[in-house]
Amino acid sequence: MDAAINTQNYRQYLARFQSLIALFVLCVLISFLSDKFLTVTNAWNVMRQISVNICISVGMTLVVLTAGIDLSVGSILALCGAVTAGLLRNGIELQSSNLYIGFTVLGACVAGIIVGSALGWFNGWAITRFKVPPFVATLAMLTIARGLTMLWTKGFPITGLDHKFAFLGTGWFLGIPLPVWISGIVVISAIIITKKTRLGRYIYAIGGNENAARLSGININYIKIAVYTIAGALAAVGGLIITSRLDAAQPNAGTGYELDSIAAVVIGGTSLSGGRGSILGTVLGAVIIGVLNNGLVLLNVSPFWQQVVKGLVILAAVIIDKANSKNE
Amino acid sequence: MGKKVIKYIIVAFVVLLVGYNSVYFKKLDEVKAEQTAKTFNAAAYAQNFWDKKLTPGLSNAIAIDKLIPMLNTNPAQAFDSYSHALGIGNLRYFLIQGKGTVAAIDGDDVTVSIAGLPEQKVKIATEYIFGNAARDATGLININDFNNTMDFNNVSAEINAIIRSKVLPQLKHAKVGNSISFTGAIELNKEHVNLSQIEAVPVAVNIQP
Repeated sequence: MDAAINTQNYRQYLARFQSLIALFVLCVLISFLSDKFLTVTNAWNVMRQISVNICISVGMTLVVLTAGIDLSVGSILALCGAVTAGLLRNGIELQSSNLYIGFTVLGACVAGIIVGSALGWFNGWAITRFKVPPFVATLAMLTIARGLTMLWTKGFPITGLDHKFAFLGTGWFLGIPLPVWISGIVVISAIIITKKTRLGRYIYAIGGNENAARLSGININYIKIAVYTIAGALAAVGGLIITSRLDAAQPNAGTGYELDSIAAVVIGGTSLSGGRGSILGTVLGAVIIGVLNNGLVLLNVSPFWQQVVKGLVILAAVIIDKANSKNE
Repeated sequence: MGKKVIKYIIVAFVVLLVGYNSVYFKKLDEVKAEQTAKTFNAAAYAQNFWDKKLTPGLSNAIAIDKLIPMLNTNPAQAFDSYSHALGIGNLRYFLIQGKGTVAAIDGDDVTVSIAGLPEQKVKIATEYIFGNAARDATGLININDFNNTMDFNNVSAEINAIIRSKVLPQLKHAKVGNSISFTGAIELNKEHVNLSQIEAVPVAVNIQP
């Protein structure tokens, strides 16, 4: 009897720290195979690269916790980056009144985040108002936002941005890259929201059992719209970082980022059926994806094989998640 | 009620503060005039480079009958002394000059047999001029002088356009057996030096029957 309980405890312990164990094993493995992996420069490089995915994945976690999904984050990221870059570079010209409205770095960034929030709000509104499955509604937004990006940029990159804006993606503060600070602030804010606020509790409640949450008086639609709006806003933040790092808004930026963020969420232990998961788990998931990407590049693995490996890791994460749910 | 009002006042204050620091207004025609003055004119830059830097500096080009033996015996010194490149890659550019005889004429190039090095052939492009060889071979254009890579690349395109309009027409009159002196830009791979297929982008040519 005791042995059975011990085995059960051991399993639970293992399940709780599975992401951390996976990350540790991955780091040890890659550091044995490549001497460039365990260097300070590479560590900052990985952190800078994953900061965009962390921002998006935090938003995705909130969405997935409500048993939803957001496939549009990559396209929203591209559109918001393009809007910010376009406003920064070209402003708005009002021919009829001979007026030029110029945007400062702050103004352009705020505009980008507003656009992201608006698109996220639209996702939430379509899902709650018309009962469109999140997969379909956000898939539609994926196409809409990408099309809008192409229209806004006319298919060309927007370059020659303000050097102050470039600081956002390439600058350092107190010895740490600015994108890492930004993603850190996003993570801490999200942890506070999920752990310490009513909104956080409602998000878990909706994902756990939507009907029960409704019957207990939670305004489901309001919470869902808020969650998708936050996801849109965080995708926009990711867009600002990536545009700033490249010093250009690429019309095809963020392609496939939704899959990386879903992978980070799933690997981080958040259940795709909602109600279970954590922001820290997602951060670990994003770090695993980032380390995996970095390691495969350092080991000279073909990009095609990299996709295969990433897919297998996601599949393994889902299988483990299913097994854990069964045990629970 | 009081708390709510204070909350709204704070929110309004923050919104106004952010709004005030976010946008600025100007007359559109003034902005347009500023933009026109600031717009980089790649064609003018290329023409200026051609007239004031490239053409006067053609005599500094390394003679090919001196370069080839050095590339055979001491390639590292040849690359260090005479080649230029922007990045850290293996592709390097040389500005060369040489004399010889037109050995063959094809649709896209003229093959020159180099005087003093009869075995050495150089193909001079007569149809397709592309790439950055002419821009980078002199080492006189610095990428840091440009605000963005698009402007920098446009300079290359404009230099190639000048070559097409000023140099290539002269090569159209070449006949096999003509004497030819030329200056041109060539690209060589530092790690895999292949001297059997040297292709030059012509910058100046002089053909004698």
